[in-house]
Amino acid sequence: MLFQPAIIALLLASFLCSAMLLAVAPFAVGLLRRWDLSSGSAGQVMLERRTHLVSALVGIALAGEAASLILFVVNADRMAALFTGAMCAVGTLLVNPFGFPALELKIAVFFLASCWLILDWIDRQGWDYPLIRVKYAALLALTPVQLTASGVLLAYFLGLRADVITSCCGSLFGGAVQTLGNSLAALPHDVSYAALIAALAAVLACGGFVLGRGRGRILYAILAGAAFLIGLAAVTSTVSVYVYELPHHHCPFCLLKGEYGSVGYLLYLPLFIGAVAGLGVGIVGPAAALPSLAGPAPGFAKRLVRVSMAGFFLFGAVCLWLIARSHLVLFPA
Amino acid sequence: MIELSAVTKAYNQGRENEFWALRGIDLTLERGKATVFQGPSGSGKTTLLTLVGCLARPTSGRVRFKGRDISALPERFLTDIRREAIGFVFQSFNLIRGVSAVENVMIPAYPLGRPPAELEARAHALLDRLGVGAKASSPSERLSGGEAQRVAIARALINDPELIVADEPTANLDSGHSARFLDIAEGLKAEGRTLLIASHDPRVIDAAPIDRIVALRDGRVLDAG
Repeated sequence: MLFQPAIIALLLASFLCSAMLLAVAPFAVGLLRRWDLSSGSAGQVMLERRTHLVSALVGIALAGEAASLILFVVNADRMAALFTGAMCAVGTLLVNPFGFPALELKIAVFFLASCWLILDWIDRQGWDYPLIRVKYAALLALTPVQLTASGVLLAYFLGLRADVITSCCGSLFGGAVQTLGNSLAALPHDVSYAALIAALAAVLACGGFVLGRGRGRILYAILAGAAFLIGLAAVTSTVSVYVYELPHHHCPFCLLKGEYGSVGYLLYLPLFIGAVAGLGVGIVGPAAALPSLAGPAPGFAKRLVRVSMAGFFLFGAVCLWLIARSHLVLFPA
Repeated sequence: MIELSAVTKAYNQGRENEFWALRGIDLTLERGKATVFQGPSGSGKTTLLTLVGCLARPTSGRVRFKGRDISALPERFLTDIRREAIGFVFQSFNLIRGVSAVENVMIPAYPLGRPPAELEARAHALLDRLGVGAKASSPSERLSGGEAQRVAIARALINDPELIVADEPTANLDSGHSARFLDIAEGLKAEGRTLLIASHDPRVIDAAPIDRIVALRDGRVLDAG
């Protein structure tokens, strides 16, 4: 199993990123301890020179690792055909106990890495390295998460055995066992549908306010995070059943399958982009108070708001389209 | 306008051929003055100009330009300063072969996005002012040494910089052209520009427009003038 091209690519991306973060950790610690822009010492000048190279290399590694989330999900979906009992990515992820932790850690790294890339970008817009300490402290905080993600990913792929009989998504999303998936699936349709509409409306309204007034960026980030979680819950409890046209099939992973037009990608990509850009607004917003970022930060925050709003709008539009085209009727007129 | 404090610069640091071009330079250079850095080869004149001109960073120490520490600036900011505030005249002129004189003059202004007609008019005006207007369409490789230098000066002035950095500007010129360069330098100073010139040419060192001579040897300031 280990020699599947996608698995090799995922492990390479993950371990390269982990190795990069481990290699950079001593530099980050040194920078946090010794950074002093008022000093012209050789050590300080060396830190200033190296931080550009370090940021660029770490940025490439983190961007690759964040993007590999898509490959992980695609691979999990494709590999379902190899395991007895698996109907979709859920079956692949349930082959051993490391599957879902690996996915969750991948998602965590996706958000942390994306936020770090936004932090790095805004820091490099200032002439006096305004966020450099925050940036490297964040990198050190991210490192153990990434190392854990690499370890769990390796354990998951090493534990993939074709002779294991796995479970299908029905047991996780719609079974009697008390799991998070079952809890999401059991949410009343009207509640999740109303929460989704309210969350998206709140995000778009707040985004309009931020664009118009230049205030409320932290609130936007909080709303974007909430809309992301509510969006995932709504997809599991309500949108999915419209797609399958089966009232009791709630799997959010079957949406990725070709037989359903791979509409899951149309849902998840805008949702994730909207969420991460929204969280970025919360990072860039406070940075506008720093003198050297007073010029570039507000403009960048507005661009992130637009990207985030576009993501959530597209997500909402796809949800509505999937509901409108479905033959299933959950809310009789 | 420019302050250097405890500036050192090493090449190939930590290797067998390590060379310290500058060893603890402390200098303050005033706005609107013409300063010559004088010294033999290897004294650190050119290295000093590259640091002040944002072409290199010191190994230690700080360089401040108009109060801002440019030795710590990220590269993208250095590019802006080089492009907008500093004009360079190199020893070998560094004109691009196969390109006409006027196009050579306009090249540093292209990234600023000024209207092409306005830019071309300014380039022609500068060439006329420096007495090489008739050579505007000539390919740079057909220019004489004196003409090439004046085109190089026009190129240095295209973005209206307040600081002109010239490295051995008369090294390849005869006496007549050197005198012409010094006339031009006097005119630039009269416009309020600051001139930094690295030279060991006595004609430059003793010239009237020069306000200050800084003598360098082995990377140290012998006489701050």
